Amino acid sequence: MTDTNAVPSDAAPSEPDARPRRWRVARRRLLIGAGATFGSLLVGVPIALEYGRPTLAQWMLERGAGSSEVPESSLVWFELTGDGITLHVPKIEMGQGIHTALAQIAAEELRVPFEALTVVQADTARGFPSATMFTFGSTSVSSLYTPIREAAAAVRAMLAAEAARQLGVDTQQLTAADGVFQVGGTERRVAYTEVIAAHQGPWQEPAEQPELRPAGEFTSIGRSVPRVDFRAKVLGEATYGYDARLPGMGYGAFVVPPRFGAELESAEPGDAAAMPGVHQVVIDVEAGFAGVVADTRTRAWAAARALKLSWSEGTRVDNAALEEQVTAGDGVVLRRDGSIRDALSQGRLVAAEYRTPMAAHAHLEPLAALARVEPGPAGKVEVWVPTQSPESVLEDLHAALGEDRPVVVHVTQLGGSFGRKGGQHLAVEAARLSAAVGTPVHVGWTRDTDLRQAFYRPPTHTRMRGSIGPDGMIRGVEQVSAAGDIIWAVAGLPEPVRSLIGFDPGGLLGLFLPYDLPAYRLVNRREQLPVPTGPWRGLGLMPNTFALESFLDELAEAAGSDPLTYRLAHLRKSGEQGERLRTVLRTAAQMAGWSESLPAGRGRGIACSGDAGTVVAVVAEVDLSDGRLRVTGVDVAVDCGLVVNPAGAKLQAQGSIVMGLSSTLREELRIQDGQVVSDNFDTYPILSMADTPPVRVAFVGGGDVPHGMGEPVVGPVPAAVANAVRAAGGPRLRTLPLRL
Amino acid sequence: MRLLINGRHHEIEHGDEPLLWVLRDELGLTGTRYGCGAGICGCCTVLLAGQPARSCRITAAEVGERPVVTLEGLAERGADGQVVALHPVQQAFVETPLQCGWCLPGHVLCAVALLARDPDPDEAAIAEAAQPNLCRCGGYNTIKAAVARAAELAREA
Repeated sequence: MTDTNAVPSDAAPSEPDARPRRWRVARRRLLIGAGATFGSLLVGVPIALEYGRPTLAQWMLERGAGSSEVPESSLVWFELTGDGITLHVPKIEMGQGIHTALAQIAAEELRVPFEALTVVQADTARGFPSATMFTFGSTSVSSLYTPIREAAAAVRAMLAAEAARQLGVDTQQLTAADGVFQVGGTERRVAYTEVIAAHQGPWQEPAEQPELRPAGEFTSIGRSVPRVDFRAKVLGEATYGYDARLPGMGYGAFVVPPRFGAELESAEPGDAAAMPGVHQVVIDVEAGFAGVVADTRTRAWAAARALKLSWSEGTRVDNAALEEQVTAGDGVVLRRDGSIRDALSQGRLVAAEYRTPMAAHAHLEPLAALARVEPGPAGKVEVWVPTQSPESVLEDLHAALGEDRPVVVHVTQLGGSFGRKGGQHLAVEAARLSAAVGTPVHVGWTRDTDLRQAFYRPPTHTRMRGSIGPDGMIRGVEQVSAAGDIIWAVAGLPEPVRSLIGFDPGGLLGLFLPYDLPAYRLVNRREQLPVPTGPWRGLGLMPNTFALESFLDELAEAAGSDPLTYRLAHLRKSGEQGERLRTVLRTAAQMAGWSESLPAGRGRGIACSGDAGTVVAVVAEVDLSDGRLRVTGVDVAVDCGLVVNPAGAKLQAQGSIVMGLSSTLREELRIQDGQVVSDNFDTYPILSMADTPPVRVAFVGGGDVPHGMGEPVVGPVPAAVANAVRAAGGPRLRTLPLRL
Repeated sequence: MRLLINGRHHEIEHGDEPLLWVLRDELGLTGTRYGCGAGICGCCTVLLAGQPARSCRITAAEVGERPVVTLEGLAERGADGQVVALHPVQQAFVETPLQCGWCLPGHVLCAVALLARDPDPDEAAIAEAAQPNLCRCGGYNTIKAAVARAAELAREA
């Protein structure tokens, strides 16, 4: 039970294998190693044309230079030897617990103890297309659930057939449990590892997909198991990006613009070259690059500060200017149901507007990368980097150092990410320095650089208008919003195309009211801002849900209705989403004792949302009695379908609540004169233990397959708290962070 | 100069550097993490003469003779260096894990110091000892549970 990243070792750069192994596609469902078939078995699941399914694939693989003998274009692959079973996974561990969940899924169908599996994080040379490694959108477990089960079941069937041959019995006579086959009615047993060790010749893929275990018989899926990565982590032995090391490596630092949009116009070594420990100053003004390599990290940082630089002006934008740009008004009409004009001209009108600020990811591990670049224009580039997207690192390295270079991206453990490590251009800077000095170079950012040079959650502004009929029911809602770019800020579409589309796909998350409304008009606009913006946990989900679910409470208040009753009455009657939301709302309300009264100055608020196939309801309880806003408890009900690891899912839910509360109560990125002034945890405070209330989590619903758990639970948090403040007799707060 | 780290003396070159970077970069003890460089987040926590200290705020020279313990030095190890038994606090965090783990030095070592002076801490004492350390994954409630479990394990040991 271990989790293994590609750790840089003292060994020489990995050499191209001299004996390429052939891979054949057996019956087009699995990739099976057809080379050295003695005493080992390698099985990969080919990437499907149909999303996430191991269906069609046609490869006859000859392994190219620079990589090991592994299946290519796999979703996952298994390596079985006489010593044990290894699961090679593309998806990246940044604390979600996915390596553990994926191992549980494999163990179930292999019928081995979960603890017997070793999980290996793949690098870009180990058989995974780099796009498959991109870890985003709360999809890692949901997208691999069925492929891993089917492949693991097929592996078990292959082992069973071989075991039957070795034992001279019929396959039907064998039962499999705990990694051992037993001949029915006898004491004859053989371990999987023994079967593999004794095997000779090619493996036969089963003619049909073996049956998967019925959910009622699961022994691994659905069980809270220990995390595969945590023993190494508590021992201080896990390797994160900042920890990657190679013998003889130098420490690099490079300069960053003083203001957003400023470009390097000239650079001179100044005093830096003569400073103690400095190996080399590296300047490439055309590439906008000036950096140093030194014998220690602090010397490198100091020398980079001593470089003589001139920069173009850049922007002098501040928060007020950014908010003005992100003002709801014109935009793309995304929804037009019924006549909003008629609806708003009758009944009781309610209007409100909501704002959310820019925010940082503030992962505790600042960005870092290690690079080793071999000499010459076609020298190999190898990087060790904490990234969610090895593909973009690969592309950036090729673009910066030359398309002809072989590039390998090793992914380390990530010390948090929350969207920020989607790309990771420090790999490029480390590689530039390594190429210049000829040794491996590690670059690690300081906290202030990390917060000043990030991309950020963009600000949002939402205007809501609604009307209520004499029966108290909503007649119609008009929702007009604007937000800075999320996906468009990091995707490679040309600006005219983005402008033509008019909205940002990331801004759609959480944007649509899940309620039955006779009239609904929804207008949204994206804005390209003069500061970098991009994906932050849940993308548009939390900012949008703050506006929508706060407004629903405002409508309920105007109608004189209980917020829970009002939601239950308006949730969509058709489709399953409405019913699933009702269930989580009722559950969270019941957990919180919704109907029980509270003393003066205290109140409860409720909110719900859906994302990545998962629906969530949150009840927050607040206490305003001493004139401060304190959140005293949170109850959350989640329907994420099948729960693979309840303990892990609970951590994700609790962590999402705490991160959501941090945004609700604390976080606001301050920008003055084109610079981020919130540059450490004193000026960018995040929630601490003292402000964290008890968080109770319930999973409801269940189902045949898992849905997303990485992001959905942040959605309802700010609205639930704002609604609780109002219920406690406080003001209606419409701007994050909430301030009394 | 020499530092006493995890029970062993180490010759070090850069006495003027923060202890954090000497541990990580000179000695390869990367279990002590950098988070803020300003003593706010707690990721760089070590035990200095048994007390939690921020290794980003003290130079190696200032450490002097005082023994330093890092995450790597907590487990019981055999002659071959292999782990024989995790420290009860480590064992508790394996049973009750956090998420990314970058903040573990602060949370584990503050708990080790707490249990050394108070083998049976109540929830308030646990929260007070953990308060100086941030956890961006939001595992604060889990940390309280893990430290309570560690106290149990330590008493059983």
